[in-house]
Amino acid sequence: MNYFLHIIVLLNIYIILILGANMTVGMAGLLTLCQAAFYGIGAYIGTMLLMQFDLPFIVIALIVSVITGVFSLLISYASLKLKNDYFTLATLGFQMIIFTILYNWVDVTKGPYGISGIPAIKILGLWSLKGVVPYAIFTAVVMCAMVGIFVALKKSPYGRLLRAIRADETAVKALGRNTSAAKTRAFFLSAAFSGIAGLLYASYVRFIDPTSFTLNESLFIICALFIGGVGNAKGSIAGALFVVILPELLRFIGLPDAVAAPLREIIYGLALVVIMFVRPQGMLGEEMSK
Amino acid sequence: MLLQFVINGLITGLLYSLLAIGFALVYNTTKIFHLAAAGLYVVAAYIFYSAVSIFHLPLFAGALVAVAATMGVSLLVDVLVYRPLSKRQSSVNVSLISAVGVLTILVNLVVLVYGNAPKVVENSLKSTYTFGHLILSQPQVWQAVIGLLSVAAFVAFIHYTSWGKRFRALSDDEVLYTTLGYNVNQTRTIVFLLSGAFVAISSCLNVYEVGMDPNMGMNILINALAAMIIGGIGRFEACILGGLTLGLVQSLVLMQLPSSWQTGVTFLILMLFLFFRPQGIAGYKQRTV
Repeated sequence: MNYFLHIIVLLNIYIILILGANMTVGMAGLLTLCQAAFYGIGAYIGTMLLMQFDLPFIVIALIVSVITGVFSLLISYASLKLKNDYFTLATLGFQMIIFTILYNWVDVTKGPYGISGIPAIKILGLWSLKGVVPYAIFTAVVMCAMVGIFVALKKSPYGRLLRAIRADETAVKALGRNTSAAKTRAFFLSAAFSGIAGLLYASYVRFIDPTSFTLNESLFIICALFIGGVGNAKGSIAGALFVVILPELLRFIGLPDAVAAPLREIIYGLALVVIMFVRPQGMLGEEMSK
Repeated sequence: MLLQFVINGLITGLLYSLLAIGFALVYNTTKIFHLAAAGLYVVAAYIFYSAVSIFHLPLFAGALVAVAATMGVSLLVDVLVYRPLSKRQSSVNVSLISAVGVLTILVNLVVLVYGNAPKVVENSLKSTYTFGHLILSQPQVWQAVIGLLSVAAFVAFIHYTSWGKRFRALSDDEVLYTTLGYNVNQTRTIVFLLSGAFVAISSCLNVYEVGMDPNMGMNILINALAAMIIGGIGRFEACILGGLTLGLVQSLVLMQLPSSWQTGVTFLILMLFLFFRPQGIAGYKQRTV
């Protein structure tokens, strides 16, 4: 039962992360490879706040969102100056730099040793979450709130503006819209989503180290997003279900222990390729115009 | 002391150059973000290891086997995955995700066969050569000699055969290339064979010195990526310049900072280039930037 609930917590965290990626990659069509950097920044800032101050969750979540959002301004700046692959490479650079800082700034982040004994989240400043059951419920509530925010944004005029930018940025500019401001906000929101996922992760696992926030993790998030399908919330949920549940299901098909881990990965890799062949728009994605 | 760091840096840079050439051949001509190159790098290393340590081939024969096999796998990746995707005019994102899929498959096939533990090609103490104040190990000498020969062969191939021109033509406009009667699939075959060869040469030269583990590919590939951008996207020879520059800078940084900062510094330089000189040291000016 606890195992099942643990999967639920991970699933909720990944849904939030993938929604964050969806905000920029899916809605605005800007491919980033630095989601894990924001995830990491959120986790570390969240950890420091949890350890230093006795604040309710909502306050910490707000502070984390704002700080990760401020970091996202660097990426926004890059997106104004660079296009397409150059922009994606800049986000890759940002990912690597953040990882190096988390890994090497031992005074603050404890570097490769990681930070342990992270206190649990307190709701309303008095009721602290203990054990996997409250966390499963609580992360589910946060996840639903995030899905709600995402859907509301998507339906709003702002969401339409982002999707218009994805389709043809020059045309949107020609119609007099400020695309830079729209993109900046998208990055801010995306980073804030990832930051909150990081905060939830840190307080649930109670131990963080930089290896959870690598380039591979960024690639993993982007893959999950594209498998599920970009541009809508149900695609992100499907993607998260796929990448979190599939490895767990493969545990039950009785692979010999010695080869189980690599075989699972191979099946995952094959699934990536096959899905891109069969449904390039992802399982539940919108049909993208070229 | 300084000379030692310079030479070490240039030799490491040469290996980045070779891998960057392998990546750029595919990236420039097909626009595929060829992350699977990291998988090919690992495959090449383990074939080299098997040939030398398990089948007891001489070093050179082992390396040749590794290069040939990697060329084959590289072509296979194109024929089975990339080519059908290009035929459907898939978006860049779709080919990127597929490349990650191929990378995952290749790396884990290696884990399946060899396990996760690090391996070395030859478990012996390598001799060193001393030139005045300069000390070079035997693998470093091989890296320098074979690396330079490969780079020279590549430059000659690009300049003195029609293929260099054809690769550039394919990079510029695939439709026009087909219209003028050239066979895109045939050109791609050459591109992927050549790419596999350069990835494998870089891999064999590197792992002969430092050994291997199945997860090393991505880390080295992103350095090669940085080298490609620093040199200049779009021009094949620029990879060489970029690799040497990056190796040199990394080595000089090592004189001042602990090695764990190296990646950070590399990508800081990359960012500076992206922002202030996106065409790299010697690349073509891109209109889209």
